Amino acid sequence: MDVSQYLEIFLDEAKEHLQNLNTQILELEADSENMDTINEIFRAAHSMKGMAGTMGYKRMQTLTHDMENVFSEVRNGNIKVQPELIDVLFQCLDALEEYTNNIQATADEGTNDNEPLIKLLGDILKAGGKVDAAPQTSKNGEPAQSAGGDKKWNDIVLDDSQIHVIKEAQKAGKKAYGLTVNVQESCILKAARAFLVFKAVEEKGEIIVSSPSAQDVEDEKFDKDFTLIVLTDAELDELIKLAEDVSEIESTIGAELVVEETKNYRPMDEPTASASSAAENAQTKTPAVMEEKAQAAPAAAKPSDKKPATGKPVVNRTVRVDIEKLDVLMNLVSELIIAKNSLVSASGQEQNTNSGFNEQVEYLESVTTNLHESVMKVRMVPIESVVNKFPRMIRDLSKTLNKKMELYMTGEETELDRTVVDEIGDPLMHLLRNSADHGLEDAELRVQRGKPPVGSIFLDAYQDGNNVVIEVRDDGNGIDVEAVKNKAIERGSITPEQAINMSEKEIINLLFLPSFSTAKKVTDVSGRGVGLDVVKSKIESLSGEVEVKSKLGEGSTWTIRLPLTLAIIQALMVVVGDEKYAISLGTIQAIEDILPTDIKLVENKEVINLRGTVIPLIRMNQLLDIDSTRDEEEGLIVVIVKKGDKMAGLVVDELLGQQEIVIKSLGAYIKQCKFISGATILGDGEVALILDANALL
Amino acid sequence: MDQLSIKNEVAKANEAGGHTEERFQFIVIRLGEEQYGIDIRYIDNIVRMQNITRVPKVPAYLKGVINLRGEVVPVVSIRLKMGLPADEYTRATRIIILKSEAVGNLGIVVDEVREVVTLTDSNIEKSAHEVKDNAASFINGIGKNGGELISLLDLNAITIEENA
Repeated sequence: MDVSQYLEIFLDEAKEHLQNLNTQILELEADSENMDTINEIFRAAHSMKGMAGTMGYKRMQTLTHDMENVFSEVRNGNIKVQPELIDVLFQCLDALEEYTNNIQATADEGTNDNEPLIKLLGDILKAGGKVDAAPQTSKNGEPAQSAGGDKKWNDIVLDDSQIHVIKEAQKAGKKAYGLTVNVQESCILKAARAFLVFKAVEEKGEIIVSSPSAQDVEDEKFDKDFTLIVLTDAELDELIKLAEDVSEIESTIGAELVVEETKNYRPMDEPTASASSAAENAQTKTPAVMEEKAQAAPAAAKPSDKKPATGKPVVNRTVRVDIEKLDVLMNLVSELIIAKNSLVSASGQEQNTNSGFNEQVEYLESVTTNLHESVMKVRMVPIESVVNKFPRMIRDLSKTLNKKMELYMTGEETELDRTVVDEIGDPLMHLLRNSADHGLEDAELRVQRGKPPVGSIFLDAYQDGNNVVIEVRDDGNGIDVEAVKNKAIERGSITPEQAINMSEKEIINLLFLPSFSTAKKVTDVSGRGVGLDVVKSKIESLSGEVEVKSKLGEGSTWTIRLPLTLAIIQALMVVVGDEKYAISLGTIQAIEDILPTDIKLVENKEVINLRGTVIPLIRMNQLLDIDSTRDEEEGLIVVIVKKGDKMAGLVVDELLGQQEIVIKSLGAYIKQCKFISGATILGDGEVALILDANALL
Repeated sequence: MDQLSIKNEVAKANEAGGHTEERFQFIVIRLGEEQYGIDIRYIDNIVRMQNITRVPKVPAYLKGVINLRGEVVPVVSIRLKMGLPADEYTRATRIIILKSEAVGNLGIVVDEVREVVTLTDSNIEKSAHEVKDNAASFINGIGKNGGELISLLDLNAITIEENA
């Protein structure tokens, strides 16, 4: 075993801790007296230190160690939380993040010692009065935890050779300790934790016995604690601390073992005893008699035990699953659905309808639908993991831009497909920065306009039918349509004549053109003209869409609409010519039968007037280069599709009905087809293409 | 540019193990009157002609997509791509599924699949792309199998999309 296999866990946890620290320090900034927050920060810093140490990342360990020291003092009330302290802490977090990123990229932490930061931390410590405040001091007040029953090393049966080894070592000046390590109940990878403890302890000494055996521990065949007997030069405190530095270790207790000569040393001239194993057991049962030093060593996790359960559960119970495995499962479900569809179509064909067969098909249908839903649910994660970093970002922006602003978030628990959540972070960040930089006005101007001096940015997420909507809203200046228009003319994106005929909305949409920025000066934050077009293309690549509404002087709202799932959808099957196509049900607004006489011409384009709304028609047979099989005089079938508030009527030849379809990619080889978003396999094995209604509008 | 994957490198190594000369296996196919060889390492599968779903607004040589065991695979007419007359589908027509790391699986339509031949290095004459004749730019060598000549198809040239 070597540590590298734990790298992934380490990275995951380091990121979790970093996120946690960010959140907590933000909270601390708002409420500098909150002991819960301080404890939480202390604990996270402590865990990170332990993890970094075990993995051999010394620089990271040093930095977290110093942070921990500062927090220890804060916790003891020796240092007051000042805004400067918060700034330094955030810088530390950035440095830690850099280490983590380096480790992720190269498995090495990099060579940045971050000495200025360490010095800053040291200065803070000195200013606080006490120079050296080892975190362990905070443990003094804790009650002795091991009140007796926990001393499991008493139960370990030592054989002769082991006793001999212990004695030899003790003669050589080494000490033998019994250690019982308790793993947190919520711990998922007990074996990994145990391994880290073994490794840490072995650095200081030699593990003679463990109970359960090392092999069993490695195979995770233990409940929540394991016991070691260690020979070492080091002090017991040191060992306990090493063990506790491993995260998710709840507590470690230990004591020195004294092997008493009289009771245990079996002289060589008593060979009979060794013959009877029972006798041997009886005798060796007692060898390790403790000198009751009872080193109480409450865990780093102790504060959390005391903290009353205030609201949120501390840890989500999760199992990390490789997304590839999920994809395999997903594919299997897809196959099942295809098989089901072919059964359905087979049952439709047979005239002598056997009711038992139909029942089975219906049963299969309900099973596959349920299975599909649950597999999809496994892939769903709350967007929390992405949006959590935004409060910190807004805080930093507020300082850089010298504007006062607050971020209000709702709906962090809204769930989206994992792949979407991974991708959505950057676009959202762009929009928030955009709101902070371009949207919100200076405090003075805000006051003049009768707004509160502190600007507000809102991030709201909610589910809406088959979509998830994420809105970024600010109460700032809004988009200056005239400025956008002038800029567009100046850049040559549109001609002045075009500009006159453009609606406000069309002009606002110009913002999504590549390298378009109206910011008067380029700042660090935005104004470089890369952004909105990237936002748009990113979201469209996720089959979503982005819209903006704005009112000059009152603020703007950016609305991102994303599909809940990407892999399996409900679709309407239609026929054009002699080909079958699928249209996602999510985009369909209505289906209308119209007469040829209902079609009017506007600007030489066919439109229909549907209950007061004028909707342009798209002849699918012309678009798809195929001859229509329908006699127009019989009337036309029009599928009304909608995207945002744009609508279009697709003229098709025939409707086949609704079906659950599995979306398959057309492969990298076929690139140019804009309005085909993929393909699906029908029950009869034929491939049908999926029309992307969004691209048609 | 696009490099075809060689997934059974091991097989090749084993094959080469016992011999001083490297040996390659080719599937011999017929297009019109001519015989062509396709390196067997690039072939995933050979399937019978089946219904191809047309994809609109793509070049003519791209015939459409088929369902290969639940995967959607694009099919190319190698005749049209090489500038030969369009395919006539017969009972002998087959679709050869090529595996390519760059673009995924890809099917090509051939008139007939004849046999598998093993050629050694000395039986293969590499040709450079000097000839600017359209069909010839898809050939990267000539193989001699007994008295017959087999044009060896350059699969990279086929899998590269012209107007990408």
